Amino acid sequence: MAKVYDVELRNIMKKFQNNVVVQDFNLQVEQGEFVSFLGPSGCGKTTTLNMIAGFLEPDGGDLLIKGQRMNGVPPYKRELGMVFQTYSLFPHMTVAENIAYGLKLRKVNKAEMKERVDRVLSLVKLPNVADRYPKQLSGGQRQRIAIARALVIEPSLLLLDEPLSNLDAKLREELRDELKRLHHEIGVTTIFVTHDQEEALSLSDRIVVLNHGFVEQIGTPLEIYNQPASEFVHTFIGKTNRLEGEVVEVDGDRITVQTPEGMLIHAAKQSRSFTPKQKVVAFVRPEKIVLSQTDSGDAANKVKGNLQLASFLGSYTECEVKVGGQSLSVKIQKLIDKAAAQEAEKGIYCHWNAEDVLIMPTERG
Amino acid sequence: MSRRLSITLLTAPALILLLGVFLIPMLLMLLLSFQDGQQAFTLANYSLFFQDTFYLDILWRTIRVSLWTVLATLVLGYPVAMFMAQASGKMRGIVTMCVLAPHLISVVIRNFGWVVVLGEKGWVNEMLMAMGIIETPLRLLYNELGVVIGLTDSFIAYMVLALATSLYAIDPSLNKAASILGASRARTFFSVTLPLSLPGIVAGTTLVFSLSMSAFVTPALMGGTSVKVIPVLAYEQIMSTLNWPLGAALAFLLLGSTIVLVSLYTKLIENKRYKEVFAS
Repeated sequence: MAKVYDVELRNIMKKFQNNVVVQDFNLQVEQGEFVSFLGPSGCGKTTTLNMIAGFLEPDGGDLLIKGQRMNGVPPYKRELGMVFQTYSLFPHMTVAENIAYGLKLRKVNKAEMKERVDRVLSLVKLPNVADRYPKQLSGGQRQRIAIARALVIEPSLLLLDEPLSNLDAKLREELRDELKRLHHEIGVTTIFVTHDQEEALSLSDRIVVLNHGFVEQIGTPLEIYNQPASEFVHTFIGKTNRLEGEVVEVDGDRITVQTPEGMLIHAAKQSRSFTPKQKVVAFVRPEKIVLSQTDSGDAANKVKGNLQLASFLGSYTECEVKVGGQSLSVKIQKLIDKAAAQEAEKGIYCHWNAEDVLIMPTERG
Repeated sequence: MSRRLSITLLTAPALILLLGVFLIPMLLMLLLSFQDGQQAFTLANYSLFFQDTFYLDILWRTIRVSLWTVLATLVLGYPVAMFMAQASGKMRGIVTMCVLAPHLISVVIRNFGWVVVLGEKGWVNEMLMAMGIIETPLRLLYNELGVVIGLTDSFIAYMVLALATSLYAIDPSLNKAASILGASRARTFFSVTLPLSLPGIVAGTTLVFSLSMSAFVTPALMGGTSVKVIPVLAYEQIMSTLNWPLGAALAFLLLGSTIVLVSLYTKLIENKRYKEVFAS
């Protein structure tokens, strides 16, 4: 017998008028898994979530929840929990009434209702707000209540539609950790939609990267970060330096790429194979580059450049180093004082390892 | 020039107009209502009203017709307002135009239009008889039903716009939230949409009620002599009987009743929760 997944998408397709917004979406979500849909706006992540919730009908393919085909089943019969970007608490109900809404519809008796409301309120660490109205709460508190409201019905699946994007930076981080803790405690299968790669990386068991309605890659955060399936995935997950060039030498695992300005980039083993003269793009992440006054060291790549700009950003400093006609972005932990900066403007070496270079063919596909 | 002075100067024309054509005539009418034929002070005009059930009956009819009109505009207007709230910007504009368009035509002409439509030989009766549903023509005019039909037509636009304004303000994702929690569309309507549109319902019903209470043209044209309401009666006292003091007293009794009823109504609805939820 085929394995039963908590959520299964089979060739899901959706179009608005003649615009295909989601195509060939295949995914299996295991019980208890935390899966993120990550991508820029308009990539189809929210559309797909809305199809899982039942607010939109797929134009092709099958949607299964716990092995049951859900195409055509209205949202109110799907037994799901959902948290929205705008909190979506009922403004005319108190916190307790908001949370009890789903229980009331399920005809849970009064005593049990109160007990479950209290339990879920303490789960989100807001035990004393039951009688308040949503507008008397802060944004972070409202979102916690929204999460409580979704969890109290013990849904088979929790859907989170950019729940953190309306919060300010500090609260966002706090609630992100809270989500992680809740998922750890309850273990409810969760699908999380976000455009923020940090949220996706820190929370997810697996990430689905979407672009223009296509799935670019499905993988664990580490796989997505270290073995991106496409240039899009690599550039979308964090900052990177992009160096166009041509393969000049392939020596076993080692590949050398030359940029039009003549800079040589040495790379170690890649998941793809390349041939000399092939047009490629080499990527190096800013945090993998080390700045040094000398060209001594083990790094395979050592290029000389001039510091253009250093922005102190608290826990790190972001530098722009001009190498030939190319500008390299470098992220360093060390502070650069004025004297060091002046020195570096005259000349500084950028070192990075061959293992930290990612090479991709220029043309996709 | 100080800011205060400029505000005073800018509002002065409107204030003078309001004072001259509204407040002073109102005060004069109020004085008039306490006079007898010899211009001496009397309460007779008011006591007459409470002693003679003829007048009380007419007041009750005025209130009754107004309440029916409120109900009809609310029930007929709510779906239109909901459609507007859900429609795209362009569609919303078209519907707003359709709702307001009848007001480009004089109420007198619209009422006569209804007379043509609803009369014994009007097309409603002709059609129903042709279809064999009725044998003798229905009486749709010159009774309270006729007045309610005419008033509903006159005032439904106010109701629709008041309702639509409060429906626009409801976050559409609340419907999604209710739905995913297990509420059917009907359940979502009664537990989320309807309670959240309460400010619009209060505004629309109050407005239509006040307008219906003081409507003169429609009851006069579509109610005929058999459906007298207070404004028609006051008009007759002043224009036909030339009993200005009684006419003035009737006008103030109408104003007083409307104010009392509307205040009671809003007091009743705007309870603690209402204030908590809808206070800005």
